[in-house]
Amino acid sequence: MGWRDAARLADVAFVEVSLQATYAFRQGNPVPSTDGHRMVARAQRRVTQSKVLIAGLLGLLALGSSVLLRASASQRAQLAPVAMPAGLFQAAVLTGLLGLDVVLLWWNGLQALPTVLSSSAIAVLEPLPVDRSTLRKVAFLLYLRLFDVPAVVVLVLTPVAVGLALGLPAGLATVPAGVCAVVFALTLSLLTGRFFVRRVQGARGGGGRSVVRWAYLILWLLPAFGLLAFVIASPPFFRAVASLTSPHVVRSAELLAAVYPFTLAILPPYVAGGAGALGVPSAVRAVAVLWSGVYLAVAAYAVLWLYGSVAEFGKLPALPTAAGAPSTCELRPQRPAWAVLTKDLRLASRTPGYAFLILLPLLDALALGLVTYAGAPGSSAARGVALAAVSAAALLATFFGPAFFALEVVAQSYGRTLPLTIRSMALGKVTLIGGIYVAAGGVVLAITAFRIPEPALFAVFVLAELPAVVAAGLLELSLLFRWARTRGLPVTNLYAGSWNVVAIAIPGVAVAVAPLAAFAAAGLWGMALVAVVALEIIGGLTLGRGTR
Amino acid sequence: MDGPDGTTPLLLERVTVDYGERRAVDGLSLTVRPGEIYGLLGSNGAGKSSTIKSIVGLVRPSSGSVLVFGDDAVSDGTRAKEHLGYVPETALLYEALTPREFLEFVAGVRRLDRAVASERLRTYATAFRLDSELEEPIATLSNGTRQKVLVLAALLHAPRLLVLDEPLNSLDPRSVRIVKELLLRFVRTGGRGVLLSTHTMEIAEELCGRVGILDQGVLRAEGTLAELRTRAARGDASLEEVFLRLTRQDEGLTEAVASLDGP
Repeated sequence: MGWRDAARLADVAFVEVSLQATYAFRQGNPVPSTDGHRMVARAQRRVTQSKVLIAGLLGLLALGSSVLLRASASQRAQLAPVAMPAGLFQAAVLTGLLGLDVVLLWWNGLQALPTVLSSSAIAVLEPLPVDRSTLRKVAFLLYLRLFDVPAVVVLVLTPVAVGLALGLPAGLATVPAGVCAVVFALTLSLLTGRFFVRRVQGARGGGGRSVVRWAYLILWLLPAFGLLAFVIASPPFFRAVASLTSPHVVRSAELLAAVYPFTLAILPPYVAGGAGALGVPSAVRAVAVLWSGVYLAVAAYAVLWLYGSVAEFGKLPALPTAAGAPSTCELRPQRPAWAVLTKDLRLASRTPGYAFLILLPLLDALALGLVTYAGAPGSSAARGVALAAVSAAALLATFFGPAFFALEVVAQSYGRTLPLTIRSMALGKVTLIGGIYVAAGGVVLAITAFRIPEPALFAVFVLAELPAVVAAGLLELSLLFRWARTRGLPVTNLYAGSWNVVAIAIPGVAVAVAPLAAFAAAGLWGMALVAVVALEIIGGLTLGRGTR
Repeated sequence: MDGPDGTTPLLLERVTVDYGERRAVDGLSLTVRPGEIYGLLGSNGAGKSSTIKSIVGLVRPSSGSVLVFGDDAVSDGTRAKEHLGYVPETALLYEALTPREFLEFVAGVRRLDRAVASERLRTYATAFRLDSELEEPIATLSNGTRQKVLVLAALLHAPRLLVLDEPLNSLDPRSVRIVKELLLRFVRTGGRGVLLSTHTMEIAEELCGRVGILDQGVLRAEGTLAELRTRAARGDASLEEVFLRLTRQDEGLTEAVASLDGP
């Protein structure tokens, strides 16, 4: 069979992936009361919508970069913390863009891969009279389909954006960088996906093994954390780029010129403005050219590796990481809400998409806390960053409602047969949401206690926001349960239901932001008052009578 | 709930289940009496699973009522679910949990006492030889072992009604024997009942006091095996023959079998 036949089979397999991403039948979700053809069409539409959402974000980043690439000298002086030649500034902007492209595509892949596995879309082809070579082609094409719209945006829109700003030759010179970004993201997705299946999914609970499992899960956070790291690291990054112009720092400059994606980002400004626009020594340019070649060679090898490895991933079983763990018949039943909380925590810690959400505010708090620690002791600026860290954790927590609701899709057909009230379910989930938020606040406080003025007031700030975080979670979950009752189970996983997540998170964000706005206007007391009133109203509406 | 209905394990009245334009169950009425194993028979797509899903709360009937020991499973599902234990046809569970973690969750939701839950788990896990696999992730277990986990989860709270959808499909002969014994003992005391869906006639013949034959969402016949034989006018026929006759699937069957030699 040739590529055309393989493409036809990949199309069929992708429909199955879309269907499972949306309805999760193989994970236990019951068939909704709707026509089968309509169901398939809806699944395909939802997956496309989510892809378009990520592609839109990538497109906005590319177009935004295009504006930055055309910045005048005075604008550059405002944007960058240090003065640097125009070409070098453009290379720095392109580096950021390419880095974000890789991170977002990688993240997209991480969201999709567990669905590819659970769909068994590749495994079901095994018993058919399809030769191994065709199977590889099908798996490879199916894998490309997971990324198609966002990847095309990176491959096309990035050169177009650069071309609009720096001219057609510079745009064309961006193509190798775009190709490398896509290939590296696809490779990282598969590498980490394999790691997840082998080391995390099959891991058992208990003691040290849980710690190891959580440590593994940090790996899954790297893509999302990469975005934050770039934002935080940008001033030092600009300083490092500016240092390239100095002839006395050749060794470190060579190091930077070798680091992906900077090495590929130098090419378009060089094509547009020549060596003068960059203002860097020839040794740096030589290193960049050499390493560009190396990265292109690595990308070519990665394509071959992907071609050979995707098929194996598609039929990978979940493997236990330890053997012979002692069994016990001791059960420790908890109250229903706690049972839900424990179950969610256990599932989330073994499922990358959810673990990522739980760890994100904690690492966000850690990163911003460290930035605060590095600042001047006792300064109000340091306190400002610390407060921003907690506010960010509160806002991130508003995405937990849809995420923990999505857990109910797993084995939904069994969970719904248990006498579990909406009240117990919601209480368990918001307790977990509140716990993660408080832990994030605790991380910031632990790091910055001796650096910020009046740390006790900071602790009060964290606690004053807590009722609003809980209220936001309750509101979102109550809307989702109502949605499930009247219109069928809403999809809230990020690969097929990102629009639903965004739609549900909007009222949650509004509730979480209200006390923060009150803090700016009326201080801590105003903030606490707004948060408590929000919880009182939303709690009364969602946990009162009629929520069985 | 007190009163006559409070003692009837299961009462379905004119239940209809629709999937879009397609009607899976059409005005079905049936009763599972105290101390009875009721067999629900039907071909593939006859509406057995849809009927069961409407009882356990997975599908909302378009019309009709479902009462479990007098509690309405449609309007107040939580109370009805407290009475029943359910074993689904396909063992789809929380794959990332171990059986012990899963059963702990179920025991928590059902508010079971720690000692009672542990003792029941010990008893059933030993009987099913499951004790060595309680700490394995469910994702790594065989279909049969998953099915055993579901049987345990259904029995853990000592339910009053068991609803079983093809429960013996993936089980090994030893476990099949244990489940059969369990069901027969289960209905002997306490006014309990079992609804057993199957298309294996031998199992229905062996276990069920009464059977209902479902065809295209409609209950074609109901009664003891003797009553069904009479109705089908087949005095000494097996349940399979009675089933084929009552669902008119015996028409053209001989020709269909003969045609298999053709190609």
